[in-house]
Amino acid sequence: MNKTELKTITGVLEQGMNRQLLYYLDVCTRCSICKDACHQYVSTGDVLFLPAYRAELIRRVYKKYFTRSGLFLPSLYEARESDDRLLDELYRSTYACTGCRRCMYYCPFSIDTTWVLGVAKAMLIAAGKGAQILTELAGAAVSKGENIDLFKDIMLDLNKETEKELQSLIGDSKATIPIEKEGADILYAALAGVHSILPPSVIFHKAGLNWTLSLFESANYGYFLGDVEKGRIIAKRIVDEAKRLGVKEVVISECGHAYRVMQYLYETWAKEELSFGVTAMVEIIARLIEEGSIEIPSGKERKIVTYHDPCQVGRNAGFYEEPRYVLNQVASNLRELNPSREKNWCCGGGGGLVAQPEFDEFRIKTGERKAEQIKQTRAGLVVSPCENCRLQITALNEKYDMGVKVTGLSDVVANQLIGRDIATSFEAGQTEEPEDED
Amino acid sequence: MAKEKAKSKQEASEKTEKTAGKVDLELDLRGLMCPLPMVRVSQNINKVPVGGVIRAVATDPGSLADIPSWARTTGNEVLKTERDGKDIIFLVKRVK
Repeated sequence: MNKTELKTITGVLEQGMNRQLLYYLDVCTRCSICKDACHQYVSTGDVLFLPAYRAELIRRVYKKYFTRSGLFLPSLYEARESDDRLLDELYRSTYACTGCRRCMYYCPFSIDTTWVLGVAKAMLIAAGKGAQILTELAGAAVSKGENIDLFKDIMLDLNKETEKELQSLIGDSKATIPIEKEGADILYAALAGVHSILPPSVIFHKAGLNWTLSLFESANYGYFLGDVEKGRIIAKRIVDEAKRLGVKEVVISECGHAYRVMQYLYETWAKEELSFGVTAMVEIIARLIEEGSIEIPSGKERKIVTYHDPCQVGRNAGFYEEPRYVLNQVASNLRELNPSREKNWCCGGGGGLVAQPEFDEFRIKTGERKAEQIKQTRAGLVVSPCENCRLQITALNEKYDMGVKVTGLSDVVANQLIGRDIATSFEAGQTEEPEDED
Repeated sequence: MAKEKAKSKQEASEKTEKTAGKVDLELDLRGLMCPLPMVRVSQNINKVPVGGVIRAVATDPGSLADIPSWARTTGNEVLKTERDGKDIIFLVKRVK
């Protein structure tokens, strides 16, 4: 590492060294309570994944370049040079973290490892060592926003197909999935794919809402990458659309981090106050049921259903009651994971890990505890309102023979509203005429 | 019957591409959801030589915007995008 690179990295660290980070680095007593809280450390026993050590890597660099004791007596004060070996360790330690914050919940000082790793990611990006696939995904999302006119016609064509699916599902040939509807009350930011559009469309239609579908997916790979500027630009695509259409509320799909970005981070990143409300999908479904806008038909589902609290929906956003309220309307045998709610184990797929092939083996290994937890409930259906969690639990299901079906909260509600089995998938083309069988 | 027709149509299309020497790598990305089709293309682009072509078949509609956007930002090129029933077929050229 040359002097310029070193200066860049230490400059990023200095810039991120605010009171909060200093507090986190200062108060850690290495009590190691966090070792039993982190699913990654519990599964691997590798110190690299111990939350306190993750922060320790940053602390050592800080000591080396920003304290006299670390500068003159590095070995005595555990100071460490920022060299390529350190950056490699920092990379594995940082980009492997799912940001579940279970360690923070158990930490006596509430040290937010995710916050510390935010600075670590900024240092890695400055050193040209940001996670490559996340960089590409974030870049593609930014490019899509800049060149939306190139894709708009394709998206409108696809939407017509999805609209036909909706009409067929609900038996209403006039049902629409509006796009770019000025004066709509709600802008719904889905994920890419019919599975994220159809169930909310059924719910919104049944509730008679004045809504419109966003041209942009809610997922934000700039956030996973740790690149605040890219994260801001990706989220801004939806913010600008919401402003242009004059909506009162932006509803974020069942995607934990996307809600967190829009509700808790965007205003700080962009230094602007949002002119509309931000609502999570779990929140609006509960609201619609509570106010009587949609009615779940009687004859509750009797099979055992369990609910996995996504870290970004539960621990990091506080939605524990809403999804349970909804599920108790739908199913009569909701069985909790043990532990659940704020103590729930991370599934192992968050933080963008499901999109990073380099961590495939690691995330399956570190998801074993989640697989065991689900098996213990003997549930046949796992509901979780987060795409990352669903992808991960689906992968765990295959690996650990869990024998479950994995679905979203919107899916079970929409299925109930149209009189289908709650575990039925919403996929493109499922309402087409059946093909001839030979 | 319809399934068979679609299958033979696809096989014919694949055969044409292969015999024409245009395709260096086939990727079956059907059933993968966003962002995995794009991730798989990115993962495999270095497996073909510069100037080589990947033929990727996806079913996730999100890939229609994702893969061209990825190509644009990484300096690669989507030569062709076509739909065949539920299949979305991309010919992606490695440029650098």
